[in-house]
Formats: sequence, C-alpha cells, structure tokens
Amino acid sequence: MPASADTLARTPFDRTLLLVIPAAAFMLLLFVYPFLYGLALSFNPKEGGPLANYAHFFTTDNLWPTIWITLKLALPATLVNVGLALPIAFKMRVKTRYQRWVTTILVVPITLGTVLIAEGMLLYFGPKGWLSQFLQFAHLYEGPIRLTHNYWGVLISLVISGFPFAFLLILSYITGIDPVLARAAATLGADPKAQFRHIYLPLLAPGLAMCFCLAFVQAFSVFPSAVLLGSPAGPTRVISIAAYEAAFEQYDYSLASAIAMIMGFVQLIIVSAVLSLRNVFYRGPVSGGKG
Amino acid sequence: MRHDFSELKLDRVTRRFAGAGGKAFNALDELTLTVRRGEFIALLGPSGCGKSTALNCIAGLMQLSGGTIWLDDTRIDTLPPESRGFGMVFQNYALFPHMSVAKNIGFGLRMRNVAAAEIAPRVEHALKLVQLVGQAHKLPGQLSGGQQQRVAIARAIVIEPPLILMDEPLSNLDAKLRIETRAEIRRIHRELDRATIYVTHDQDEALSLADRIVVMKDGVVQQIGAPPEVYGQPSNLHVARFMGYRNVLELDVTGQDGDRVTLAGPDISLSGVRKQPLAGKRAMVAIRPEEIVVTDSSAHGNTIDGRVDNVEYCGRDALLDIVTASGALLHVRGAVTIRRGDVVRVQVPVERTLVYPPT
Repeated sequence: MPASADTLARTPFDRTLLLVIPAAAFMLLLFVYPFLYGLALSFNPKEGGPLANYAHFFTTDNLWPTIWITLKLALPATLVNVGLALPIAFKMRVKTRYQRWVTTILVVPITLGTVLIAEGMLLYFGPKGWLSQFLQFAHLYEGPIRLTHNYWGVLISLVISGFPFAFLLILSYITGIDPVLARAAATLGADPKAQFRHIYLPLLAPGLAMCFCLAFVQAFSVFPSAVLLGSPAGPTRVISIAAYEAAFEQYDYSLASAIAMIMGFVQLIIVSAVLSLRNVFYRGPVSGGKG
Repeated sequence: MRHDFSELKLDRVTRRFAGAGGKAFNALDELTLTVRRGEFIALLGPSGCGKSTALNCIAGLMQLSGGTIWLDDTRIDTLPPESRGFGMVFQNYALFPHMSVAKNIGFGLRMRNVAAAEIAPRVEHALKLVQLVGQAHKLPGQLSGGQQQRVAIARAIVIEPPLILMDEPLSNLDAKLRIETRAEIRRIHRELDRATIYVTHDQDEALSLADRIVVMKDGVVQQIGAPPEVYGQPSNLHVARFMGYRNVLELDVTGQDGDRVTLAGPDISLSGVRKQPLAGKRAMVAIRPEEIVVTDSSAHGNTIDGRVDNVEYCGRDALLDIVTASGALLHVRGAVTIRRGDVVRVQVPVERTLVYPPT
C-alpha cells in the first residue's frame, strides 16, 4: 500500500467543522426549504398551467408595473445612500475629536425601526407637521408641503433607514486603506482630489459595489414605509405590497409565491450586474507593501 | 516645482506632539541643517529620536511647530507635499496595490501632466536604473520585498526630484538583500547626482552611504559630520555608545594636560583624549572593542589585566568578555586561540581612549 494513501486515510477528521452544523441547519430550515417550497408552489396555480401565475403577473395592469415602481424607489434610494455615505465616511476616516460624535449621530437611525421612522416622519413632514409650520411661520414657503403619503415620503424614509448601513460599511472599507498610500501619492504630486480619484476610489470600488448591493436589496424589499408613508394604492404600490395582497387578501399563496420569486429574480439581476462590474476593479490587499 | 537647487536650508525646524497626559514634547527640537546639491545626508539615531519626524517635515507630510525650510531663496515649509516635488521612499514601500509596476512608476509623471508618449520611455529608463526590466506589467503583490523596494525607488526618482527622501528603506529586507540594495542606492545616487536625505537607525548603513551623518537623540542633534569623524571622534558619550564604543568605564580623573587626561580606578589606570570639557572628579572612558589589543605581560602603558570570562567565536576572531580583579567588564576582540579562564593583558592606544564627562 503506498504511503501517501495510508496517511490520507488516517488524516484525522477536523472536529471544528462540526461548528458549521447549527448555521447549516438554520439555512436549510429557514431559507432553503421555504424557498424551494415557494418555488414549487409558484408553479402550482389555482387554475391553469404551471406558468399561469407568471403569465398573470405580467399581463395584469396592477401587478407588472410594481417592478418599475419598486425599482424607481430602490435605485435612487441606494444611489443617494451610497453617494452620501462615501464623502462623509471619507471625511470621517481620520480620527478627530468630532469623529466619534458625528459617527454616533449618523448611526442612530439604525436603532429606530421603520415604523418608528414612519411615525416620526408623519409628525415632522406631514401637512400640519413641524417642518410645514416652521416654514410658514418664517414665511419661507407658504404653500402646502406634500412629503408624506406619496413617492417622496417613502424615498426619504428609505434614505433615513438605509444610510447608516451604507455609512458604516463604507467607513470600514475606507479605514482599511493604508493612509500611507495617499501620503505617497501626495509626495508624487497628487493633490487631495487626485489622491481620492486615483488611490481611494479604485481601492474602494469593490467595497462600494458590495455596499450598493446590500443597500439595494434592503431598499427593494421595502414594505412598511411604502404603506405608512406612501400611497400604497398608487405611486408606491411596490412589489412586496402586491405579494402581500395576493397572499393575505386574495389568499392565493401560489400567486404570492410567484410574485416573491419575481421579486428575488429582479434583485438577483441587479446584484449580479453590479458584482460583475466589481470584477473589473482590482481586488486584493489594500496596503502598500510589507509592515 | 524645481528640478535643481544649490542649498536646502532647515532653520531651527521644530515639531511638537501632545504626549501622555496632555504634556507636549518636542519630537524634533530646532534642527538646523544645510544640505548641498548632490549631497547624501543620513539622519541616524535610535527609534523615537525624531529622524522620521524630520523627514516628514521636509516632505510636507507633517506641519512644523516652529522654524522654516528654504530651498535656495524659496520658503517651502508652507507648501503642501504635492507642491514640493520631492521624491520619497517609504519604509513599507507604499506601492499602489491596484496599479502595475509601470503605472506605479509613471504615477508622478501623470500627476505632472507629462505626455503619455514621454512617460513610457522615462518609466522604461527608471526600470533599467533599478534593474527591473521586464517586470513592468506585474502588480506589486507579485514582486518580492526587494523588488518592491526598487519599484518604490524608481517611482521616487523618475520625477527627477531635486531631493530624494528615504525613510528606513532597507529595514524590511533580509541581511543579504539589505547589503545589495544598499550598494544599489549608492550607485543610483552616484548616477543621478541628486541630494538625498536618508533616515536610518543602522550605523553601518549611515557610514557606508552618507557624505555627512546627522546623529540625533530625543529630537536633538548630537553631532553632524563626515562618516570618519562621527565614527572616530564622537562628540559626546551618547554618540560614542551609538557608534559602537561598547566599553564605557567610569573612572577618577587624576590629571589633565591639555587634551590629555589620566584616569584611575581600583585596578585600572589609563590615559586618554578629552572630547568634552571635564568639570568634576569623575569621567567616562569610551573604547571600541576592536581597538583594544590583547598583548603579553611585557607590554606597558595603557594596559589592563583581567581574566577571560566569556568567548564568542566570530570566525576571523573572537569577541572576549574580560573581567578585571575589581569586577570591571571589558569587551575585546581577540585571537580565536584564547580560552575562557585565561589571564590576559590588553592594551589600548591613548588617542583611541576617549574621555567624556559623566552623564
């Protein structure tokens, strides 16, 4: 018997692998099984062939536009969140006296639930809210302010709840970049703008793509704020509302599953498009050498 | 930005930091130095002596707390680093990990809006100078440490800076590569004839590379001089210790005649040369191990008797620890035939016995 086979056979089983079991069981029971169940269910409509639900979705006037309605909310919200978080995180990358305070204040909305944010926004942005009253009191703007129960209300709430995540994520990426790289660029003649463009941005790009994906998925599944702050019958009738109505108003679980599958598929398209863009950029250690 | 100058003048350059407990301390205290065109200056000292602070102040990466820096008659300490145009080589290389070797080297030229057609040949020339031809397309992560350091050097010199700053560029390399790259740096300096300021804690590096050495301690300059001067005639005890004068004995002063000093201990009596004014009755004697000679009992004048307590074999010779009857310890270089327990007499030339006031 060759020695190598012998040693291979006697390689002891790495028992730390057993630590994977709880997580694997969790995934299997709470994600894989319900997902496969829903997928199968979506091809078993109440009436018609296996694809009837999907045909119904794409031919019904209050269903298929929900894709665009949701994208019209989720994409701008994501772009605003990532776009705002990037410069602020960049400013916060160096430790200053104010850094901890600013970071804390920016992250606070994470602790508020969407419903709480919605309540607060109704009080603040509503037609009789503080903002409106203040503007009228100061004679800055006399007309009515419509920032709730429409598209803008939902968008603002998505920014409030999504920004802290984007900010924290980007901050951790930025602080991982060795500041000596920017110093080296400076000695080579790069002003702060050029340092950002040529050093920070390319090294951040993969992280920004990741951040975009997470923020997008979060925004695309918007539900409570679309109901509470939007007009769920019209401009903010997002895809999750359509799924909810199918499941709990028409009791058509099969159609609801199909809508959920379509929702997942749209997210998958956007996420894989962004992640494939990520491959264009350098991915690897973001330090400048040894030490 | 300029490509040449005749004098870089540091005038009482000071940098303060907030230390422990909010007490400010001077990391760099009134450094005054004039660097001439083409000169190679080494800032030498133990870690924390302010040498890197000085370099960062010159590069513009750190603001001064006091003093001024002049490039001929232009004041530059108020300029940001990108407007000074000095090439800098960092201790951990600081290569841009997402750019190829060629892109790294060409970065400074791109920032200067040099035409693309001109960048390629200049990058090629720089690669030739650091002997990395054929590696242009690789990413820094694919190179060895020594190659990365040479890319860093090429990147700093391709912009033809009037001044090249190097911050312990060899400290991350292994011993053999360090000596090779050291020779490389010397050769490049000779070919380019650019003023260079080189920070190191390694006295061998400073001695072999520099035209002048600036020895520092606690932010204060201790001595500025050519390598033989700093090596042979340290201006104070601290410099002597740092330059390898391992034998430091505290003795009583028994007589002074001009620079000549005679000193005595319980079982040692020596004559030496005074390097600083002596005030008290006690003085410190500093002697290099390799300047002490093991002789026989017939020798007279500046001799010390003792017993060999330890022998470290070094190949060509041995490093001996010799203990006198009163317990004073001497480090001496001697023949490999000497054994532990041997009783020996050692002798040191009077002019190589340096005398300093006690610290």
